[in-house]
Amino acid sequence: MKKQIGAVLLAGFMACTLSIGLTACGNKAKPDFVMPEGGFDTETPVTIKFYHTMGSSATSAGRSLQAILTDAIGRFNVLYPNITVEHEQVGGYPEVRDRIQKELTAGNQPNLAYCYPDHVAMYNVGNAVQTLDDFLPGGAYENYKVTQADGTEVPLAMTQEQKDSFIPGYWQEGYGFGDGSKMYTLPFSKSTEVLYYNKTEFDKNGWKAPTTWDEMEDLCEKIDEKYNGSGKPQTYGFGYDSEDNWFITMCEQYGSPYTSAEGEHYLFNNDTNKAFVQRFAEWYNKDYFQTRALYGGSYTSALFTATGANDEKTLMCIGSSAGASHQLPAIDNETKKRPFEVGIVPIPQVNVNNPKAISQGPSVCIFKSDDPQKVLASWLLLKFLTTDIAFQAEFAISSGYIPVLKESVIRTNETYAAELDSADGGDHLAALSVKVALEQENSYYTSPAFVGSSKARDEVGALMQAVFGGTKTLDQAFKDAIDECEYYS
Amino acid sequence: MEKENTPETTIPSAPTPQPAPIKTMKEKDIKSVSVKQRVVKILVQVGLYTFLTILAISILFPFYWMLISSLKTLTEYNETIPTLWPRQFCWDNYVTAFTGELNLGRLFLNTVIVGVVSTLLSLVVTIISAFAFARLEFKGKNLMFGALLATMMIPGELFTITNYITVSAFGWLNTFTVLIVPFLVSVFYIYLLRQNFMQIPNELYLAAKVDGTSDFKYLWRVMVPLSAPTLISITILKMMGAWNSYIWPLLVANDSAHKLVTVGLRGTAFVDLATNMINYPAQMAAVVIVTIPLLLVFIFFRKYIMRGVSRSGIKG
Amino acid sequence: MTKEKTEKPVLTDEQKKIRRKAIFNRYKAWLYLLPAIVILLIFTVWPIFNTIRMALLKNYDSMKELGGMSFEFGFDNFVSVVHYNKFLTCLGNTMLLTIITVPVSTMLALLVAVALNSIKFLRRAFQTIFFLPYVTNSIAIGMVFMTMFQMIGNINNPVSLGIINSIIEALGGTRVNWVNVGSNYWANITVLAIYIIWNALPFKILVLLGGLQGVNKQYYDAAKVDGASRWRIFWRITVPLLSPMIAYVVITGFIGGFKEYSSIVGIFGDTMGPVGNKGSLNTMVGFIYDNIQENQGRASAAALILFAIILVVTMINLYVSKKKVHY
Repeated sequence: MKKQIGAVLLAGFMACTLSIGLTACGNKAKPDFVMPEGGFDTETPVTIKFYHTMGSSATSAGRSLQAILTDAIGRFNVLYPNITVEHEQVGGYPEVRDRIQKELTAGNQPNLAYCYPDHVAMYNVGNAVQTLDDFLPGGAYENYKVTQADGTEVPLAMTQEQKDSFIPGYWQEGYGFGDGSKMYTLPFSKSTEVLYYNKTEFDKNGWKAPTTWDEMEDLCEKIDEKYNGSGKPQTYGFGYDSEDNWFITMCEQYGSPYTSAEGEHYLFNNDTNKAFVQRFAEWYNKDYFQTRALYGGSYTSALFTATGANDEKTLMCIGSSAGASHQLPAIDNETKKRPFEVGIVPIPQVNVNNPKAISQGPSVCIFKSDDPQKVLASWLLLKFLTTDIAFQAEFAISSGYIPVLKESVIRTNETYAAELDSADGGDHLAALSVKVALEQENSYYTSPAFVGSSKARDEVGALMQAVFGGTKTLDQAFKDAIDECEYYS
Repeated sequence: MEKENTPETTIPSAPTPQPAPIKTMKEKDIKSVSVKQRVVKILVQVGLYTFLTILAISILFPFYWMLISSLKTLTEYNETIPTLWPRQFCWDNYVTAFTGELNLGRLFLNTVIVGVVSTLLSLVVTIISAFAFARLEFKGKNLMFGALLATMMIPGELFTITNYITVSAFGWLNTFTVLIVPFLVSVFYIYLLRQNFMQIPNELYLAAKVDGTSDFKYLWRVMVPLSAPTLISITILKMMGAWNSYIWPLLVANDSAHKLVTVGLRGTAFVDLATNMINYPAQMAAVVIVTIPLLLVFIFFRKYIMRGVSRSGIKG
Repeated sequence: MTKEKTEKPVLTDEQKKIRRKAIFNRYKAWLYLLPAIVILLIFTVWPIFNTIRMALLKNYDSMKELGGMSFEFGFDNFVSVVHYNKFLTCLGNTMLLTIITVPVSTMLALLVAVALNSIKFLRRAFQTIFFLPYVTNSIAIGMVFMTMFQMIGNINNPVSLGIINSIIEALGGTRVNWVNVGSNYWANITVLAIYIIWNALPFKILVLLGGLQGVNKQYYDAAKVDGASRWRIFWRITVPLLSPMIAYVVITGFIGGFKEYSSIVGIFGDTMGPVGNKGSLNTMVGFIYDNIQENQGRASAAALILFAIILVVTMINLYVSKKKVHY
């Protein structure tokens, strides 16, 4: 098996050197992918494998994601009948990564797969991911054409128009590897974090949703004064389930170092970061917030949606924009109404003029293959799925994710436009969360991906918990986290 | 089986003081002894039942939890303080479990095929290997047995990568073979059965030798029936192994024709993709659906074999 | 296996027959072991060799190898394992849990097995109940243990104490922070020990019950005639006759105990410690897992170190059982 891979790599290398000679006189960049003679073969059957995590059960918002994908593949096959797509749901994201890791060593990896940046960083160590620059506007194969089954001839590469339809922040994520000069992934569907708040209660008190952490602090103080006079049950200011996201986002908002893909990886042990962790620890001691881990129960969204007289509550909750359905209080059996209206705003910032919010959700990468036709077929499928408005729209509605195409583009889909317009703080909360997420498309950041970046994420989350819970001193917690990261790097 | 080998179950740490009073009793007059013995016997029985009941409750609780979880609504399930009884029965979970394009029937069938075939083959391999270690004399037997035991001591997770490369080189991916063959030999079971074989008095073997019975005949006619309870234990454990295996099947046989129950259930069929929150009630409902036939089969199976063992009268 | 039959017709000469029979007898055992050996060679011995190879290559990672990197040969991985600042924590936790859980669970299982064997009423019901853990979903089991021990809410003023703490308070005791943030190491170990014992019990009961049913009843009848006390019967007859099974349960218990990992994940999640104290309950196998993604060289070295430890302990076990076990 390994020999085979070696042979392929060698052949690829030889072909590469050859093609340098061929394209030397043009001013195009040297291609990473060697185009077979005649380009994409639309006659010979070709089978490609696609790993993802799309479920087969119907979602609360509609059909199952797999059914939507199957539909899209059906439309794709009308255009390219010789491409057979075998798609497979491989557990969750860690399962996809673990399986591909093993398959790469045996040489039977899929052709394209759902990925998170740290997965791609790992595959890149094995030199296994196909870069996509050759197929982009200005790339080596910009002018290649493919004839679809209906007789029309279309460009093989992505057109400038198609590229421009992507939300730029999402598009840029594909470059987050190595020195950042090559594109490795296309965004597939995304989410971010937003602040959910109890609008009814806020309006009653004349409060406004906080836009900065300072405002958040004032508000939490007010909430504590108003609700927590006589012991139990407590009302906390807000809930935030993901301590690691919180840490990384704060680094981004302060512009203080977290990690680096190159050179010294772990840079998060600095005074700015210690200061905000210390500040939040004080908040925690004043009962301003709860996190899932510290509270010991279920997700903090359960505290946010709790309405019983004896329930502990939060009046705000920071969570995934794709999880809006969990932030919605259940309809009351007697009044037949929801107990309160939910409002959504972007998460609090350090500096409202330079907002930062995390970008999450899967991208897709294409693996190198000894059969160039498979790479081309995979590219065509990936291009189709990311730019097909109907697919992106329906997928977004069913999953709660944000489509990767700009709002102006996705709105051309009538169902989706109607969905967005229906947005409210009740039954159509999911649409509201997508709307709010789309409004902050310039805030998105992703942290550097490298082998070991997921370790850093785990460690800063654990560090926050330790300091909040008072199990370690500030300095000790930072030191332990750095030690652990460095041992595993 | 109904003999009086009852121990004083509640005080394992104090074995010595107990016999003394009973001994002195022996010296007293027979009538009072029989009364006292009866009292002791009743007390012992009460103790036994209390002990067993407490343990049984602690064992039943998770099972009970599985059942009620399958009937809660997702909201109720996610409440911070868990409820011990569903506020309202949400049978919809069972509908979700069935309609979720999750082909439960097929998953179940695959698991049964793998479970039955691997159990049968594994029993054969285990029996003959255990026999060789328990009764046959050969050079390097102890060394071989030691080596066998040693293989149990390496954490198996490390084998996965190498074995994955091996089976893909054999072209076994997405077949039943790959789910059955690599795990046919379990040193745990060989060792267990060998211990059981060792319990059987050597005289029986020597007598059989004198009679001219071949080893093989002796193995099947005498040793196997005598070890039936242990073989049943192995069968149960092996079947449950097929039922619970997850990491390997997910890796090597994830197509619908070979997918096993756990892979289907633990996959993201019940995961809310957006938040990674699992719809545990629906998942538990699916688990209950596939558990019930299994439970029935085993209760029947166990009962039947137990009866068979006691009737054959070879228990001595 | 049935070679004996095919051998017979070939013979013409009595001498030849006896000699062949002798040769056959010498190798007969290997014939019985052949299927097991072949499968083990492919799926166990070969991976072990590969493990040794990886352990000897510094920071070996299959992905790096695929990318064309080469690795320094030597014992660096072993050094790096031992130099991990939590290595002693991992080793200590592993040993502590094993030493607590194996004797306790074996004793309990023995008592249950004997008790089950000496009751009539409800016996089948109890047998079925003790079988239930095998069909209970593992997720459900983990959940239940969490609910039993976990407090919910602000730790100084919790909304829910969990079943165990509620019972303790009802009996007049003070609540214990078992698993929440800031919990004490020994409280954590207690919960883990209970969970591990609970988990190990059904298997041990099954094995010992099977063993008991294989015990010759005549011994008991004889003992009864002699008027021996229950305790005497238990210690002088039941335990010795069951000793091969007890030895089995103890030895495999030790091996399993040293490989403890999933029960810690079951209670504390893969942070391997209570909230705010990540890794404080990590074990040797947990450490192997932490490395298996990106540093298989170190994972292999750790596995071999663990192997050496288990080997020594098992040798001691076998030595003791050889003296004590009555076959």
